[in-house]
Amino acid sequence: MSFDTATWIQVATFSAGGLAMGFGAIGAALGEGYTAGLANEGLSSRPEKSGDIFKNMLVGQAIAESAAIFALVVAVLLLFLDPGAPYLLKASAVLAAGLSMGFGAIGSGVGAGFPAGQACLGIARQPAVSGTLTTNMLIGSAVCQTPAIFAMVVALLLMFTDFSSMPLAPTWAALLGAGLSTGLAAIGSGAGGGLAAGASCEGIARQPVSVGNVTTTMLVGQAVSQTPAIFGLLISFILIFSAFPESAALSAAMAPLGAGICMGFGGIGPGLGNGLTAEQAVRWVARNLENTGGLTRTMLVGQAVSQSTAIYAMVVSLVLIFVI
Amino acid sequence: MEELGKIHQLVVTAFGYELRFNLEVISWTWIVIICLLIFGYIAKRNRSIVPGIFQNIGELFIEQFYGLTEDALDKRLARKYAPLICALFMFLLFCNILGIFPHLGEPTSDLNTTLSMGIMGFVIAHYVGIREKGFKAYIKAYFQPIFFMMPLNVIGELSKVISISFRLFGNIMGGDIIVLVVSYLTLSLVLPPFLIGFFFIFIGAIQAFVFTMLTLVYISVQVK
Repeated sequence: MSFDTATWIQVATFSAGGLAMGFGAIGAALGEGYTAGLANEGLSSRPEKSGDIFKNMLVGQAIAESAAIFALVVAVLLLFLDPGAPYLLKASAVLAAGLSMGFGAIGSGVGAGFPAGQACLGIARQPAVSGTLTTNMLIGSAVCQTPAIFAMVVALLLMFTDFSSMPLAPTWAALLGAGLSTGLAAIGSGAGGGLAAGASCEGIARQPVSVGNVTTTMLVGQAVSQTPAIFGLLISFILIFSAFPESAALSAAMAPLGAGICMGFGGIGPGLGNGLTAEQAVRWVARNLENTGGLTRTMLVGQAVSQSTAIYAMVVSLVLIFVI
Repeated sequence: MEELGKIHQLVVTAFGYELRFNLEVISWTWIVIICLLIFGYIAKRNRSIVPGIFQNIGELFIEQFYGLTEDALDKRLARKYAPLICALFMFLLFCNILGIFPHLGEPTSDLNTTLSMGIMGFVIAHYVGIREKGFKAYIKAYFQPIFFMMPLNVIGELSKVISISFRLFGNIMGGDIIVLVVSYLTLSLVLPPFLIGFFFIFIGAIQAFVFTMLTLVYISVQVK
């Protein structure tokens, strides 16, 4: 049994396709199950609105599924698209693409379930604002998808950029690092953004007049929750597009791989933590409308502090890439 | 598929430096600016108590963002900074939507545009902070809660510029790439129009609003 370049590329594409869809299926399924669960709760408290709630549940689940659909698209592309000119670096690139998309879809799938579920519950509580609730749910869960979109962008860049002129030795590790960086960092941000969106749907149902302030606070909170995913994207771009000098030493390869892993894992916690902050801020803006300014400022300052760990991770990653 | 990640550049060598111009992006940006100027002219041409359609749209933008600025800052500062916030939103909205027209793309899918917008917001926020609080109180804020937190506070401030500009850039460019890849796979049948509607109009409008609101709250954090 011989392993030539074409075989290695096949090994990598098949396993990457499996990883992309396998991991990508986790989050969306959880989010959709949560939605359906809350839809049941809402339905039992107001059975005469079952049609509205059912419709909203299906729309919300469809949005929550989009992260898994991104993963499906990437997996299908990996499995059926002709890889083009075979060179060994391609194997590493496609494997990284699969990892990026697989991990990246987890957070957004879970996250998009929260607004959908809370919107179903909200329609039961306050049927008069069901239109507003659906709109807010759509905005909230669309923003939740941002980390998954980042992961997909990195996956597509890794699959379609031509790396054939790059040296194999450190670049294979840089590409793997690029995939892991965005993929892992997107987990926390996706789920965190969803928490904020869920709280906003709940808040609007409790106090419909607060819709403007609640949606604005939700968007700001979600945007800041996504900062770790953006740092992950930044590190991925640096790793993909910077040319590393050829070197056979293993340490030269481990530095960019370590940078990607560092940023990836370092982004999970801050993304989720920022989401928890945003969730409470949005919840209390809905109940205490006069204090929106103060709540938003406190949320931002708190998020900035919890973000500092993501910044440490980014600093370490940059040091690993540029200094070592 | 070769277009992925490629940019058309004009390289001019002057004084020993290489100056790179992204010609397409510059022309798109000018298209947006000219459209906005024409819109502004039409909106204010025949002002009346019963507004025409363009005056109505203009009033909608101004009322919304004046209110948001007043909520975030206060009445006095809102008079000064609401025009900036409103203009920023309208510019970004037009930029993000420009991609729905054939042969045009979004200026915001180029990092140079979003980064310059982010740096502009950063500079304005810190200028307002120094003006309103005084230089001493402004510097003191960096040494909160303890003095050795200073380097981290500075990095935190700088990372705001990175996050705000990469958020817009990543979303818009991500939409571009996804539409390009799906169009290539489906031979531009059925799916791409829906994706263009979702990414360019819906996500574009949301991200323009998010960018504007973040610039506004960064100013408000500096003031209070």
